Amino acid sequence: MNRTDEKTEQQINALLDGELSPVDAEELKATATDDRDLARAIIEAYQLQQAMDTIHVERAPASLRKRLRAIPREHKTALWSKSLQPHWAMALVAVPLVIIAIGLMRPVTPSASEIAQARQDLAIAFAYLDKAGQFTGREIELTVGETMVDAVAGHMIRNIKLKQHHSKEKKA
Amino acid sequence: MSRRYRQWVKDYQDHAWTLARYILKDAQEAEDATQDAFVKLWHNQDNIDPERIKPWLMKVTRNGCLDRLRRRRDNVELNETHMAGEVSGPMQGASATELGVWLRRAIEGLKEPYRSLVVLRDVNQHSYEEVAGMLELSLAQVKVYLHRARKELREQLAEVRP
Repeated sequence: MNRTDEKTEQQINALLDGELSPVDAEELKATATDDRDLARAIIEAYQLQQAMDTIHVERAPASLRKRLRAIPREHKTALWSKSLQPHWAMALVAVPLVIIAIGLMRPVTPSASEIAQARQDLAIAFAYLDKAGQFTGREIELTVGETMVDAVAGHMIRNIKLKQHHSKEKKA
Repeated sequence: MSRRYRQWVKDYQDHAWTLARYILKDAQEAEDATQDAFVKLWHNQDNIDPERIKPWLMKVTRNGCLDRLRRRRDNVELNETHMAGEVSGPMQGASATELGVWLRRAIEGLKEPYRSLVVLRDVNQHSYEEVAGMLELSLAQVKVYLHRARKELREQLAEVRP
């Protein structure tokens, strides 16, 4: 394709796009009356444009529409974690730790009533521990005692029975 | 943020889908490519100039489609000989629907960037400036490539519709 053809093609396109000035459009049409090839090219270009008018933007299928609508929901977590940079995450973790540390380091001066209450609570706790200790001790004594009795007495009875059995066999 | 995204989906899903459909010629893959582009939009929405969302999305959709084409094992693009053998038969007296189907296939058979140019400009009706932005071409390049693409389609149409 030579330079003239390129220029003519551009003019035909500009004509179809409505971008050719009226003067240039008239000039092109006038040239086409004497140039069969140009006239044919313009006619074919119009035919193509008419054919183009029969095709349009296609409606996206329902399945795709559904998938596109779901993107914010499906990618929300990812977006959140992406926006949560490591230094921000560290800062978020550090805040409660600092608050707790400040609370622990604060000097404590309990009042007299608080001390009295604490002593009372402590006495109740010790009394409970004492009772629980006694109960547990009895339980251990009972369980271990029975086991020990069974271990000793059972063994002796079994031995006596075995000896009696042997002596009977000898006599027989 | 989500409302803004929903509006973009409403405004641009058909254009992105149409472009992907023409480039990939496969509905399922076109759906996947369109979804990928919108996922990228969702993740990058704060970094994109709101005025440039449409060209950005179209560019990302097209690039995603071209990547998919490259990955195809039996890449028809490699052996592509424009259209000639694919669509045959005289179209004289053909109905508008038949002509539309023929033209769709003819556009699908164009090489890149001609195919994208025709879809973006003649099917999706974007302006020359928008198309230049989407394809990262100069306005002059867009016009030259487009008239070459149209000429090719015109000649094919003349062959089947004498």
